[in-house]
Amino acid sequence: MQEGRALTPTEINRDLLRSVLEPPKWFWPVVVILTLWVLVGVTVSGIMINRGLGVTGLNRPVAWGFMITNFVFWIGISHAGVMLSAILRLAKAEWRRPATRAAEVLTIFSLMTALTMPIMHVGRPWRVLYWVFPYDFARGIWPSVRSPLVWDPSAILTYLTSSTLFVLIALVPDLAVLRDHTTGVAHRIYSVLSLGWQGNARQWKFQVIAGVLLSALILPVFVSVHSIVSWDFGMAASVKSWHSTIFAPYFVIGAVHSGVSAVVFVMILLRSMFGWQEYIRKEHIDALGRLLIVVATGWFYFLCMEIIFGLYGREADEVAVRTMQFMEYPWNVLMIIFAGITYFLPVALWLPRSFRRNLWIMSLACISVNVGMWLERYLIIVPGLARKQVFTFTWQTYMPSITELLLILSTFGLVSLLLLLFSRVFPLVPLYDIKEGEFLRAKVQVGRSTVPATIRED
Amino acid sequence: MASHAHAAEHEQGHSHYPADMWVFPQSEKVAPDLVGRTVAAAPRFKMWMLIAGVLAVVGIIGFIARAATDGFDEYGPWGYYMAVFSYLFMITGAAPLVGLAFRFTKSHWRRPLSRVSELFGLLGVVNVLLFIPLLFVLPPLANPQVDHGELAVRRTLWIAGPWGAPQLWDLLGVVALAVMGLVILWLSAVPDLAGAKLAATGWRRKLYTMLACRWCGAKRQWHIQKAGLALLGGFYFMTLIFVQFLIATDYGMSLVPGWKDSIFPPLYTVISFQSSLATILIIMFILRRWGGYQEYIGVSLFWSASKILLGLTLLWTYHLWAFFITFWYGRMPVEQNILKYFLFESYGAVFAANVVFSFLLPFVSILLWNRFRKTDWGPALAGCFILVGTLAFNIRIFVGSFNAGDVYALALERVPPPVYPDLWDIFIVVGCIGLAAFVYLAAMRVFPVLSIWEVKEGALYQRMERFMKGRYLVLAKPE
Repeated sequence: MQEGRALTPTEINRDLLRSVLEPPKWFWPVVVILTLWVLVGVTVSGIMINRGLGVTGLNRPVAWGFMITNFVFWIGISHAGVMLSAILRLAKAEWRRPATRAAEVLTIFSLMTALTMPIMHVGRPWRVLYWVFPYDFARGIWPSVRSPLVWDPSAILTYLTSSTLFVLIALVPDLAVLRDHTTGVAHRIYSVLSLGWQGNARQWKFQVIAGVLLSALILPVFVSVHSIVSWDFGMAASVKSWHSTIFAPYFVIGAVHSGVSAVVFVMILLRSMFGWQEYIRKEHIDALGRLLIVVATGWFYFLCMEIIFGLYGREADEVAVRTMQFMEYPWNVLMIIFAGITYFLPVALWLPRSFRRNLWIMSLACISVNVGMWLERYLIIVPGLARKQVFTFTWQTYMPSITELLLILSTFGLVSLLLLLFSRVFPLVPLYDIKEGEFLRAKVQVGRSTVPATIRED
Repeated sequence: MASHAHAAEHEQGHSHYPADMWVFPQSEKVAPDLVGRTVAAAPRFKMWMLIAGVLAVVGIIGFIARAATDGFDEYGPWGYYMAVFSYLFMITGAAPLVGLAFRFTKSHWRRPLSRVSELFGLLGVVNVLLFIPLLFVLPPLANPQVDHGELAVRRTLWIAGPWGAPQLWDLLGVVALAVMGLVILWLSAVPDLAGAKLAATGWRRKLYTMLACRWCGAKRQWHIQKAGLALLGGFYFMTLIFVQFLIATDYGMSLVPGWKDSIFPPLYTVISFQSSLATILIIMFILRRWGGYQEYIGVSLFWSASKILLGLTLLWTYHLWAFFITFWYGRMPVEQNILKYFLFESYGAVFAANVVFSFLLPFVSILLWNRFRKTDWGPALAGCFILVGTLAFNIRIFVGSFNAGDVYALALERVPPPVYPDLWDIFIVVGCIGLAAFVYLAAMRVFPVLSIWEVKEGALYQRMERFMKGRYLVLAKPE
């Protein structure tokens, strides 16, 4: 991981703080456009609250549609942060350095966005209080703590809290640099946020220990979040295609697949938007591409298991759902598109080294994965409910309304807007991590070759 | 102070290393030393080979007695045989991947364990031999006499499957793994054998000359060797996952009426990786402590590998939990009966042993704590626990599956009683493990137990350099 020239700390500060101290000309126009985009979603939500869920395409038996699909999708994206930051930090992967902050921040914003989805899906957002409070105070009907729908918000809020803490801990040294580079109100705010950081040995020691401890502690939360989301489906024995033991790991690895792909795309965008070619180098994208081949193949294995054992039991009601998924239009077309764009196309693009180093091709592959992963959740949710056998008095499919479509699209605008605003206040590539990487660069002479090396303490 | 500091360092090539830091030994000394150790076996080593050989004979006696008593018509009595086959297959099938995977990730610490893991490739032949009798006991897919409430074709992966299913295809899978395991071992060992043939005499010299295939260490040969290992590693990995899926389903799940469990093949694969790494760590510990390889096997290897073992231990527990919670929460009668059968009633004690030895003991007592993981004995002891747990896993799954009753029934409507081992079963279990140990020990007499070229390469890629106020190890990572 030693392509490009060696960078001095001064250069690193200057380049990576550019987004905060000298925002580019396009910054505010893009913020305005994204804000308008988000406002469309807010307006549509207002209409939905005013008119009720009748403005959506939801019906009986398909009571979960675009909004729950989108909820699962954003929860999935949130898994990039821990994968890239915590796991790769523990594994001491050098190439993680420029990707960590963007991944962690994407985690927070995608979790926040995901949380809005079930709230909107309820139709009357204030009813989310019933997750915690009795359904009826007078009769004392409390929510069932044994329901995965209660586990869900608990896990997500824990993940959100711990991810925020993770980002804050990692931000402190960079905030101190910002404090030293700003004046006036900004200086005062960064002074408060940097918690008196001076960069002495004791503070670094605490910072490193906190980072490693949080990395280890956040891992079970990371796994539990998407497992619990999967159990929203897997515990429902009445929906045949959902009651599968593999759902938890299948959802987790799928989340990592889509999350890491999203981070790669965000990194490519950051590189071109802020001119960070020296920091987000092609070798980093290449390494992430290699990681994605492994993750994608693992995910594909779980997908195969899920499908094979769906048919293995030869139970009539489950076979009916699978027949619908694979044989009936438009589900069969969607299924082919899904498998193609989530696994076969991106992996084919990631295999040649020259493609992994082509940013256009990598962007295409990563977008393709995320479209496919969104489709995957949709293909799990809707056909299962549409062919729900037991206690179902009608079979009906689902057609999303324009309201749902606009609402879903606005969530992409929301995450983009939040990321952009974050980059205006905090550096999106960690300064101290990059500096550490530069310090640890070394070379070893082996015969006539000079081989890149890293300084290691153990 | 300066002289003390200098005294506390040891010299290696052109660099000086702190006394407590393990580094690869000087590259010039490696080859003659390791070849010499392969050729000359200690009497204690021969004694262990003899013990393993005797156990193998006990196993053969047990097998003959079982076949004479029960024949191959009924599969029930072969439950323990299947359990021990699966136990060995899990460990020996996945073991070559340990070296290949860490070579792929360019982990320096893996160098001493590469050959130890690849030697398991030879045990693929043992797996094929042990698997052949199991082909005859598997019940037919089509129900020979369909009674009321029975399936005409039992639940299997092979509905309208190709000719010979499942036996032929399962056998092909096991054979393919064995062949690939052997080729991987040979390809990896070629540079070492080319060097060793110069020092060897007699049959060893002839064998090494034949296997070394005119290796002269040309750049092109190195490229071919490394590309071949990477390619074969990929194929081996994919084949292993597929064959494990077949074995777990054909010889486990499909024999239990109504058991439909999509996480079982991944669960089987994860415990297989866990137990193979555990076995390798135990062997590394034995080689370091009693085999005289302390200079070559540092504690850092145990420290690094134990992190992976910790991850695999947690992963197995997570998969087990995902299986349990889905069945338990679903409240479906067939799933409740399966839980009672495999987890709580019939094989409750074996399941408890499985969880205690595969998860609780290694995790809580050793792998969770840095100070134990930074020793050589800690991960090895955790490995011993894991091997016991894996045996318990295989016993509860395969003895259970082989004795679950009518294979053509729609569902497991009652919970069958457990089946305890008889004398022949014990002979078979002990004997099969003895046979595997015998073959492995014999392989250690033929191939250098450490990969000489990798250890030498490791020595070339390390330097001690000054960094700010301290001196640190610099490790090269070629792209």
